[in-house]
Amino acid sequence: MNEAATLPEFKPADYKTDLKPVWCAGCGDFGVLTGLYRALTELQVKPWETVVVSGIGCSSRLPGYVDTFGVNSLHGRALPLAAGVKVVRPDLTVIAVGGDGDGLAIGGNHFMHAARRNLDVTYLIMDNEIYGLTKGQAAPTTPTGDKTKSTHYGNPEPAVDPCELAISFGATWVGRAFSGDLKGTVELMVKALSHKGFAFLNVMSPCVTWRGDDLFKTLKAKQRQLPENHDASSRAAALIYTRETEFMTTGVLYDVSEPTLLDRLAAVKVTALAGKPQPTVADIISSFQPSF
Amino acid sequence: MPKRDITIAMVGAGGDGIVTMGDVLSQAAARDGLNVLKTEAYGPQIRGGESSCVVRLSADPIYESGDGVDALIVFSWADFSRFKGECTPAKNAVVLSDEADPVARTPEDLGLGADAVWIKLPFGKLSTDSGAKGSKNLVGLGVLTALFDLPVDTLRRAVVSRFGRKKAAVGESALKAFEAGFLLGQTLPPMPERRLGFTPGPAKLIMSGNEATAIGALHAGCRYFAGYPITPSTEILMFLDEWLPKMGGSLSQTEDELSAIGAVLGASFAGEKAMTATSGPGLSLMTEMLGLASMAELPCVIVNVQRGGPSTGLPTASEQSDLFQAVYGGHGDAPRVVMAPSDVEDCFHTTVDAFNIAEEYQIPVIVLSDQLVAQRRETFDPASLVHAVRERRLPSPEELTDYHRYRETPDGVSPMARPGIKGGIYQTNGLEHDEKGSPGSGFLLHEKMNAKRYRKLRPIRDAYTFHRRYGPQDADIGILCWGSSKGVVREAVQRANARGQKVAAFVPQMIYPFPKKELEAFLKSVKHILVVELSYAAQFYKYLRTFVDLPAERTHVYKRSGGKHLTVAEVDAEIVALLAAERVSEKVSA
Repeated sequence: MNEAATLPEFKPADYKTDLKPVWCAGCGDFGVLTGLYRALTELQVKPWETVVVSGIGCSSRLPGYVDTFGVNSLHGRALPLAAGVKVVRPDLTVIAVGGDGDGLAIGGNHFMHAARRNLDVTYLIMDNEIYGLTKGQAAPTTPTGDKTKSTHYGNPEPAVDPCELAISFGATWVGRAFSGDLKGTVELMVKALSHKGFAFLNVMSPCVTWRGDDLFKTLKAKQRQLPENHDASSRAAALIYTRETEFMTTGVLYDVSEPTLLDRLAAVKVTALAGKPQPTVADIISSFQPSF
Repeated sequence: MPKRDITIAMVGAGGDGIVTMGDVLSQAAARDGLNVLKTEAYGPQIRGGESSCVVRLSADPIYESGDGVDALIVFSWADFSRFKGECTPAKNAVVLSDEADPVARTPEDLGLGADAVWIKLPFGKLSTDSGAKGSKNLVGLGVLTALFDLPVDTLRRAVVSRFGRKKAAVGESALKAFEAGFLLGQTLPPMPERRLGFTPGPAKLIMSGNEATAIGALHAGCRYFAGYPITPSTEILMFLDEWLPKMGGSLSQTEDELSAIGAVLGASFAGEKAMTATSGPGLSLMTEMLGLASMAELPCVIVNVQRGGPSTGLPTASEQSDLFQAVYGGHGDAPRVVMAPSDVEDCFHTTVDAFNIAEEYQIPVIVLSDQLVAQRRETFDPASLVHAVRERRLPSPEELTDYHRYRETPDGVSPMARPGIKGGIYQTNGLEHDEKGSPGSGFLLHEKMNAKRYRKLRPIRDAYTFHRRYGPQDADIGILCWGSSKGVVREAVQRANARGQKVAAFVPQMIYPFPKKELEAFLKSVKHILVVELSYAAQFYKYLRTFVDLPAERTHVYKRSGGKHLTVAEVDAEIVALLAAERVSEKVSA
């Protein structure tokens, strides 16, 4: 047996571009990026058959660092682009990435509808609870009372839990990871990427510049795994692990199998044709010429 | 002598079947090779409410709805009053109304002259007596057929085809109502001089501008559409929703216009020809993504069916006030192409050209349609829907050995890889980027890449000078207009020349990059310039001035808000006044 044939085709380095990340030293996003290289390697995804799409923000620079096809699009708009890619090219692996502000504030509407449609993409939010690129303003995930550059007297607004939103929007796979836990992050990314339908993974990815140096330590202390007997097919059970204050539970909160957008669109094509041959444009045109 | 051209207006309440009546009439006329132009208007009610339909039939080519209504059929005067100014009968019109209508109108109310004919008929009663209840419209159609000598056999077939499609009995019953009206019409005093005279010819196509746009997209190879419903563009979405899945394509009705154009750009990035359609408010939302398409050089077609603005404006009325938004909208220097169809057939060709340009030059193309051309129905020759289709340039195997997505080329167009092509991997973005696509913020890079993106406009300007010129070579007046104003202007030009006045017109379908040389040649060939447009702020006039000098002493601007279609009479009055003023000034200087 030829030993070379048993070796995996792609190594983590094969998914890496020459571009050096713009992120600050110690940024949680490094862990996400490394995790993604490893997850892609584990799944042996062909780089040229993969598209990574992002919006705008620190974390949205990620597609530039992954040597697959990539689009760093506009603020909040990763999911619409991902939808367009996936609907016309079901053969591709499509990953949407971005920050919490990108996905939950300006892009919140798209998040709801991509989840509702069960669009067959993996959506990773790198949740740092802050607007990092614009230098430290409050995000929808910033805890109430926290002082930021735009909440000098303490954040007057309640925060959202992205996983809770994803579950209620209709995502069919929802997980929470912590970028300080690389092994766990890779495992969850592999599961998310393997899911058929809309898979949402919220990766807690601390911002050391605007949220303090010790956030890694704090989150590490708060991290706990889901109990062994957690019923991921139950929405109610999944919601128990949202809006947590004392803990940060990581793992697959929710995982169900439902027809995806692509399944439904394929069915639409069959219904539309009703067993008849595909029409030509000339057929359509002639239907506008009265023939009675 | 019979007439070669008549305009029939129909007005009634919701449920009177006004739209169906107009449909059957125009289908029958198209079947017999007549030229047809049909417009509809509705009240603001979601369902029911008053509606009107104007059908112009002609043995000769026609370009607009017709100035005067030759025959007006009204089932309810209360509903008629809502269409003031839209269905005004000519002084000598034939007016048919229901004798049971409780609302009374006088010939003076309608501005009718002594040679007008007014006949009150029992439409409702005949409809009930015929056994087909609620078929006033068909009774009315029968009367019109007899009075104006419309092709009765074709109309019979049109009625049966329309109503008997599912149940033969329904078709027979509808035909009875039509026959009842036809018999009644034959008992009325004949009006030979008002009859339509024509020789039937081969069947013509009849469709709306929105349908022609959608068919143009399919012809061009568009297999993905994403959109959000908005009047008056929604028919494009609905049409493609029916046909795209049959053609192996897909459609997404997105959560908003931001998402619609986002999905279109995603599909385009993935290698598919993709389009969205919207109206002014939607284009406002799409503008951010238009910049991304320009920056990342993603081919896409955006159809913007103009309506009255700003803001929600006049959703169901035409206006030409999105010109600035289409050409200049958005931040930064973002090259795009803007085209404007001027009739229904143009909607097909412009859309195919839009795809050809978008794909070949990797640039967003806006098709600026408007409510009038988008929603009216027009006939044309089926043989005219022929248009070559062009494709995106993919990288060659040699280019893939060291692939640079945004490689500098003489014409600015770099080969575009799509996912799945092994050596073609690249990451694109809305940030300024180098030839590889990697972000960079240096001044020199920005200058170089701006120049690359703008360079693409040059070959487009050279290859696509889509415009039309009407009238004599050396005219006293040269009219400049665009979009749906063309029909009215073209007929005004014909009318003036028939009077012996030398009037010409220049109508660009290519709006940006503008066919400047062609316009300059036109301006040299005319004495006075008359700009005609439906924009209160005179956007077209101002836009033209960025290309050519329009000297005040020989330029006259006729502009007004939209909301009411432009008429030949309006343009004609401007021509007459301008020529009269010229004679005065000549006398003074002599």
